[in-house]
Amino acid sequence: MARSKLQLRIAQFAVLRYGLAVLSVSVALGGALLIERLQLRNITLFLFAIAVAAWYGGTGAAVLALLLSCISFAYFFVEPSHSIPYFILFALFAWLVNRFSSVRRRAEADALQAREKLEIEVSERSSLLNLTHDTIFVRDMSDSIRYWNRGAEELYGWMPEQAIGKNSHDLLRTVFSSPLDDIQEEFLRTGRWEGELKHTKADGTQVIVASRWSLRRNEREEPIAVLETNNDITVRKRREQEIQSLNQELAKRSTELEATNKELHSFAYSVSHDLRAPLRHMAGYTELLQKKASSTLDEKCSHYIQMTLDSAKRMGNLIDDLLAFSRIGRAETQKTLFSLTQLVREALTEVRDDTEGRNIAWKIGALPDFYGDRSMLRLVLVNLISNAIKFTRTRPQAEIEIGCADGNSNDLVVFVRDNGVGFDMKYVNKLFGVFQRLHDSDAFEGTGIGLATVQRIIHRHGGKVWAAAVVNSGSTFYFSAPKT
Amino acid sequence: MESMNKLGRILLVEDDARDVELTLTALEEYNLANEVVVARDGEEALEYLYSRGKFKTRSSGNPAVLLLDLKLPKVDGLEVLKQVKSEETLRMIPIVVLTSSKEEKDMVASYKLGVSAYVVKPVDFHEFVNAIKELGIFWAVINEPPPGSVRK
Repeated sequence: MARSKLQLRIAQFAVLRYGLAVLSVSVALGGALLIERLQLRNITLFLFAIAVAAWYGGTGAAVLALLLSCISFAYFFVEPSHSIPYFILFALFAWLVNRFSSVRRRAEADALQAREKLEIEVSERSSLLNLTHDTIFVRDMSDSIRYWNRGAEELYGWMPEQAIGKNSHDLLRTVFSSPLDDIQEEFLRTGRWEGELKHTKADGTQVIVASRWSLRRNEREEPIAVLETNNDITVRKRREQEIQSLNQELAKRSTELEATNKELHSFAYSVSHDLRAPLRHMAGYTELLQKKASSTLDEKCSHYIQMTLDSAKRMGNLIDDLLAFSRIGRAETQKTLFSLTQLVREALTEVRDDTEGRNIAWKIGALPDFYGDRSMLRLVLVNLISNAIKFTRTRPQAEIEIGCADGNSNDLVVFVRDNGVGFDMKYVNKLFGVFQRLHDSDAFEGTGIGLATVQRIIHRHGGKVWAAAVVNSGSTFYFSAPKT
Repeated sequence: MESMNKLGRILLVEDDARDVELTLTALEEYNLANEVVVARDGEEALEYLYSRGKFKTRSSGNPAVLLLDLKLPKVDGLEVLKQVKSEETLRMIPIVVLTSSKEEKDMVASYKLGVSAYVVKPVDFHEFVNAIKELGIFWAVINEPPPGSVRK
């Protein structure tokens, strides 16, 4: 490296370049003359002596060596009158070697100065750098470690004295994510580089680090050192990988779920279409039979036929309710702000048929506006109100109250209360299940889907449903939903 | 009022023999069964409408109404609908979808293709008979069919 620098220097100075040319020609010419006229060995030795003195001794030594050489040469080998050309030759040679020598000295001094400066800088800052938890080390341009902070010691497990002077890439067995040449090219061009590296610690375990390099230059803009800051991201990387694999798992599950949902959808469709047809036929033919044979059938047979028809009808209702229930799960909720009072009024109109011949005292409290899917909420109210009507059937004076209970600041709570037959609270968890019934169907007809539908709708609105009851003195059904 | 005395021809497209029988029974009660032509799948329905295949020699003219099931073998109901509605000579025939399916997507698809009515067959026989009767009376008797329809 020092040698190539010297050659660079020579090339930079015109004097040296031309001097070199003159010298080589002189050497060629002189060589020819000398070989012919002189004992070559003698002059070579003098020249060598001058060169040694100039190279190692500097200018003073060169002048002295030159004078001594001239004197001794004139004295011992040639007559003084003939010695002028040799003196000139010696002088030129001495000057030339001296020039080379001083150039070399300057380059060496520069390099030494730069290193000293770096070391001073590093030692000045090292106490500060030691305070940080980051792993920081400094390497020179041949990747030899010059500084090693406490963070580096803690992460990699080598003491500063073990690390300093070593090639950093060899010590840490660095694995680069892209070719090193590309990284170096970018780094020298921009003065910084960031990326992920794999390092091996003193104990042999691997770490993944987020590495940041920044380049130090001297006053002549020559790169002199690299400050490398590394953060251990092994745990983060592992978590990222875990998250990634969890995400993949989730995506797989969601695809499976989608497929299941699709299957369920086509199942519902098939129920809707295929299951209803035979039911319709059973009902149809039984009714035709009833019509044709009514005169010949005894009371028992007529009863059997009637039971068959009732069952077919019940199953038809079950299928319809089940389909409606499954549709709620699939349909998009279309939320708007609407008046709950108005909706209760509509629901009451819808259940009017059920109230015929009944004595019901209605008590409708003040109801707020509601943010949700209007048609779904209407279904909720119709279900709850018709339940209240149904289960107060045995009461001479039914009382049904619809109102708004005190919720918290975020949710509003609506209730439907009746003085009907109620239910045993120990079965309360069964209340909202599909096909769950707490009363026998002779006393109170129903498919057991109404409350499941209510729950599903309220859940889709982000709310809750619950109930409280006392056997034979009534029940209250509540639902809550976020205000906005 | 002349048309009130005339009975339009009904093309019933239905693959289920029991449904055919029950439908015809319901129509019989109101003397509407005689002019019913039954096609057992979509292909047969199209053969009738285009007077080809086994209906090659039928008397000309379009039915006054087409009672169409959606779930049919070979060519399904929606496909029959599409073909009829894209044919200049057939597109005016009133079509009533008569199906077991309450599926919204079927209903939307049917209305988009321009059906006149969509009726879900009730499970209850009374309701079924009433539905068929009303359909028959309305479309075969009350409704004035488009020109080119067969009337007795």
